[in-house]
Amino acid sequence: MPSKTQIGYLLRESFAGFARRKLTTGVTILIMGSALLILALFTIVTLNLGSLLETARGGIDLRVFLHEELGAQREAELQPRLVVIPGVQSVAYISKDMALRELQAQLGDEVDIMTAVDTNPLPPSYQVTLSPDARTAAAVERIEQEILLWPEVQEVVYAQRWVEVLERWNSVFRLASLIVSLVVFAAAVFVISNTVKLTMASQARLIEIMKLVGATNWFIRTPYLCEGMLQGLLAGVIAMGILAGTYSLLRSQMDGLVFFTPWQMVGFVLLCISLGLVGSWAAIRKYLRT
Amino acid sequence: MKFDSKINKGPLDLRTVIGFFHTHLLYRDHAALTDVSFTVANGEFVCLTGPSGAGKSSILRLITMDLLPTEGQVIVRGMVSTNMNRRRIPLLRREIGYVFQDFRLLEDRDVYQNVQFAQVVVGISSKQMKNNVMRLLTQVGLWDKRHRLPHQLSGGEQQRVAIARAMVNSPKILLADEPTGNLDPVVAQEIIDLLFRINTGGTCVVFSTHDHEIVKNFGQRVIVIENGRITSDEEHKTAASTAHRLADRMYRPSAPQPAAVRVQEGSERA
Repeated sequence: MPSKTQIGYLLRESFAGFARRKLTTGVTILIMGSALLILALFTIVTLNLGSLLETARGGIDLRVFLHEELGAQREAELQPRLVVIPGVQSVAYISKDMALRELQAQLGDEVDIMTAVDTNPLPPSYQVTLSPDARTAAAVERIEQEILLWPEVQEVVYAQRWVEVLERWNSVFRLASLIVSLVVFAAAVFVISNTVKLTMASQARLIEIMKLVGATNWFIRTPYLCEGMLQGLLAGVIAMGILAGTYSLLRSQMDGLVFFTPWQMVGFVLLCISLGLVGSWAAIRKYLRT
Repeated sequence: MKFDSKINKGPLDLRTVIGFFHTHLLYRDHAALTDVSFTVANGEFVCLTGPSGAGKSSILRLITMDLLPTEGQVIVRGMVSTNMNRRRIPLLRREIGYVFQDFRLLEDRDVYQNVQFAQVVVGISSKQMKNNVMRLLTQVGLWDKRHRLPHQLSGGEQQRVAIARAMVNSPKILLADEPTGNLDPVVAQEIIDLLFRINTGGTCVVFSTHDHEIVKNFGQRVIVIENGRITSDEEHKTAASTAHRLADRMYRPSAPQPAAVRVQEGSERA
């Protein structure tokens, strides 16, 4: 157990590096903060694309329009055939009347379709809801192709393009954020390790004397580890602060923007601290080899 | 462990604080020490002399276990180089004071802080620490200059600060590596006297110097080392020196009492 005087010393020394090299430390924190900001930005974009994709996929249900003159019987026969297609969760029949009412509801009160047209032009249709695992562009296309072969079917409609584009971007961004995280991790560790090395080089005499009078390696190490962690913490808080500020500005303009949950923010900052720890550890290792 | 005739197997003399047993040291592929054997008893004053590069510093670094022998064995305060836990080396170093030719003080801290620092590292309570630092600085006669920075002191004063720092943790062994190398003869003699006083207090002193002449007049044991080998190890107790030392110890009321240098055991460590 360290004594009170030792703890006091360790605390003071952990911050002393900051005070002695304000510029170096400041630059380090800024560089690391920017790198982490880029990392967080990529994560946020990936998160948002993912959530957008989820929403889009939730809405990629198929609308199967039928030919007009089928008759109630043949229309009803289609329902069991649709339900057994793999990937289909449920099927709902929408008659011509229901379709018209739906349209009326969408247009609002200004236009009265019922009076504007004397015959109902809307075809009967089936609303096909897909099971979650079938909500991908490939699965939807497969189901569409199958249904289109049926002679009763006039047309199949869904938001195909939209989902495909989203899916492509989503996978691109996932890969990109993976690469960016690796680069940023390496950069952050490197930058911190360099600053801590500078601190240690400037205190070579101090370290030598500490060893000489019998300081344990842990005692020598601790202030530098703290310094690295502190730099990581500050860089992480700065990056997260900038991002959170930008988010709160954009939130009013963009609907459904996803941000980190508080726990994710804490996790991000903890990650930054551990990057600092790894960086300073790497710097010290070389120094303390007796 | 395989049998090795070059390792001390028998019981050590209880008074032995430093023991070298057929120690060989390869340093950067060059034989720094060859078959060095000697023991130092508790409270002894030993001079280590020989030309620069002969291996004096290697011996001192082996004593602090900063280096470990390539072959043979070094035993210091019961710590055995061939069979030890490296994590305990810091504890050994707390029992060894070390003084250098170039003082090695922390330039950005004042005299008081320099001495205090050695105690902070070891983790002594702040009240004890204050007492110890005051006592040591008074003994080396620098209490009045405790707020000076090292560069505001003369060479002799800086070395006395270094000695205070080395002694503040009440070590059993004091290693002095050319402590007078940067000092003029008068100041050098003051430092040597201080080391003698520390020795009379019961601390074992190993005094390393390339200057064989000053050492001869000490009237102490002198180990001569040349080319990494011990070439002579004998007492230089001239009648004159013994009488002088005796008189010095007994009739110098102005000098701090030897007993004061020795620190009460047990109470010092937190």
